[in-house]
Amino acid sequence: MDNIYYIELENLNIFFNKLKNIYKVFSPVIKDQNAKEIDYSYKDSSNNDPLIFNGYRTVQPLKSFFTYPYEKVTDYFVSEKNITNITDKTVVFGVKSCDIAGHKVQDFVFLEGVDVDSLYQLRRENTILISGDCSDFKEVCHCLAWEILPYPTDGFDLNLSPLNDGYLVEVGSKMGEEIIGKSKEYFVLAKETQVSARKTKRESFVERLKSHLLGQNLVSKDTVQRLVKQGYNLDTWQQFMLTCVECGGCNLICDTCHCFLLADKKEDNQNKKVRLWDSCLYANYARVAGGANPLKARAQRLRNRFMKKFDFFVDNLKVPACCGCGRCIEVCPGKIDIREVLKDLAKKLQNTK
Amino acid sequence: MKNIYRPIEATIEDIITESPTIKTFVLKPREQFEFKTGQFIELTLPGIGEAPFTPSSDPNVLDKIDVTIMNVGRVTSVLHSCPKNTSVGIRGPYGKGYPLDKFKGKDVLIVGGGVGLAPLRSLLFTLFAQIDNYNKVILRYGARSPADIIYKESIPLWAKKKKVDVFTTVDTGDSTWKGHVGLVTTILKDLPVDLKTAVAIVCGPPIMMKFGTLKLLELGFRSQDIYLSMEKNMSCGLGKCGHCRIGRFYACKDGPVFTYEQLKDLPEIWD
Repeated sequence: MDNIYYIELENLNIFFNKLKNIYKVFSPVIKDQNAKEIDYSYKDSSNNDPLIFNGYRTVQPLKSFFTYPYEKVTDYFVSEKNITNITDKTVVFGVKSCDIAGHKVQDFVFLEGVDVDSLYQLRRENTILISGDCSDFKEVCHCLAWEILPYPTDGFDLNLSPLNDGYLVEVGSKMGEEIIGKSKEYFVLAKETQVSARKTKRESFVERLKSHLLGQNLVSKDTVQRLVKQGYNLDTWQQFMLTCVECGGCNLICDTCHCFLLADKKEDNQNKKVRLWDSCLYANYARVAGGANPLKARAQRLRNRFMKKFDFFVDNLKVPACCGCGRCIEVCPGKIDIREVLKDLAKKLQNTK
Repeated sequence: MKNIYRPIEATIEDIITESPTIKTFVLKPREQFEFKTGQFIELTLPGIGEAPFTPSSDPNVLDKIDVTIMNVGRVTSVLHSCPKNTSVGIRGPYGKGYPLDKFKGKDVLIVGGGVGLAPLRSLLFTLFAQIDNYNKVILRYGARSPADIIYKESIPLWAKKKKVDVFTTVDTGDSTWKGHVGLVTTILKDLPVDLKTAVAIVCGPPIMMKFGTLKLLELGFRSQDIYLSMEKNMSCGLGKCGHCRIGRFYACKDGPVFTYEQLKDLPEIWD
């Protein structure tokens, strides 16, 4: 294969540092070395921190590189019709397969449809994604349930697979090819034996993850739409909503959730329009003028989150808008677990048959 | 690359008081701005906020846009206190608008409730301008009280047009009111339409849309011939911000006009 290279760990570090001369580079750091389960967090790598290969996904969703929790989208009454503020050329290390799957949902929303969101597009075009195979998983990880493999097969610029004292580097795009082209001396074409060693390693990790998920009886990709539709009137929504504090964390940290609020702000005597990440768990999410609110009841809002993910996106994009990263499970102070909600629907529908 | 959130500046040229709670704002955009009847715009008060409205004017008039607005929320209450010459922002137009080609050669029944007559006025102007394309235009309009009727001076003039049939009702009359009293559904009887081919367009508050639609179905209208203007909190207008989802659709990009056929199997469409 001519698109897979091998790089020694030492050379990867040199390559990583070289990239920093041209790009703004983000890569994972470990938040607390002594934590029971280690968390990785993206950090601007302008210092000399060594490159860490994260075994699983970071805390932050990948979307945070493309839309921001709060940002100006336009000034008022400017003659300039176009977006001109070019964003930094950025490299993101440590992206995982789940992130890339979630990213496809974001791309669908912001790049397709009636118009392209240019802010998103600019950042997209200026960002290089360097992903990596998962070599470990968190308790909440369940990508396989949605038929997403724990290693990416497309959607990356470069993908790293740890192998012996180095990494196999798969090129996934022209952009990926270009940055390797500038540092050719560090890369050698991978041998067939190395590529087949990667395959073996991947397969054995998939088996490990499978056995973690086996006892969980997770809902499958092809039944989930039917479940949320048929379970529309079940008491599951009320039941799981009991502990929700409406913090919106599940939406904000979700790799696929994309809802935003456009608001007007006056700052330094200048009016501007801003965009904020929004959450469908917030009470006013669907409120219209005059006070009518189609999602008035708390349970309606939880259900809306699931209908959007598993009905709307299955209809419109042909895939559920969940990548199994489990971030929403970890973040929830009310311990609402997306896996358990779906399983509860399945169980109750089974019982009523 | 085009900034899809950039508003065009428009000046409020005139303000017409339609009812105690409703005003029509005549806007003059500073840049070219065209819309199709039934499409909506986002109207912004800089620094205050933005809300979606369907213009009430004739889309063939290119230099001005009328927007008829009820004082009902945070943005609209500030707008109602704005004087002439205020600068506002407009974005759009968004959505699909009324499918005029589907109305050709048919009886077109228009059912409006309250300020819901605003987008329908734009449709009426469009139909009047090419009246030969349609068999008949029938307007059935209901308001809460005689004072709440909008376009008071225009409605009698429309009634005099050829091939146009107009009937108005109020929920509650007063000493001056000599017309019909009752909900708009009570004036949908004995319609002078050919039910086999007629189309109906409904716009008004959700409760009126619901019972209006049920009444039309009962009369024999087919669900694919009933067109509904759905009210959701459209914000971006482009199917990106997520707020106006109805089942598999977004009201902003797939609507805001839907046939009842498209919506009838979706849960809670009237909420």
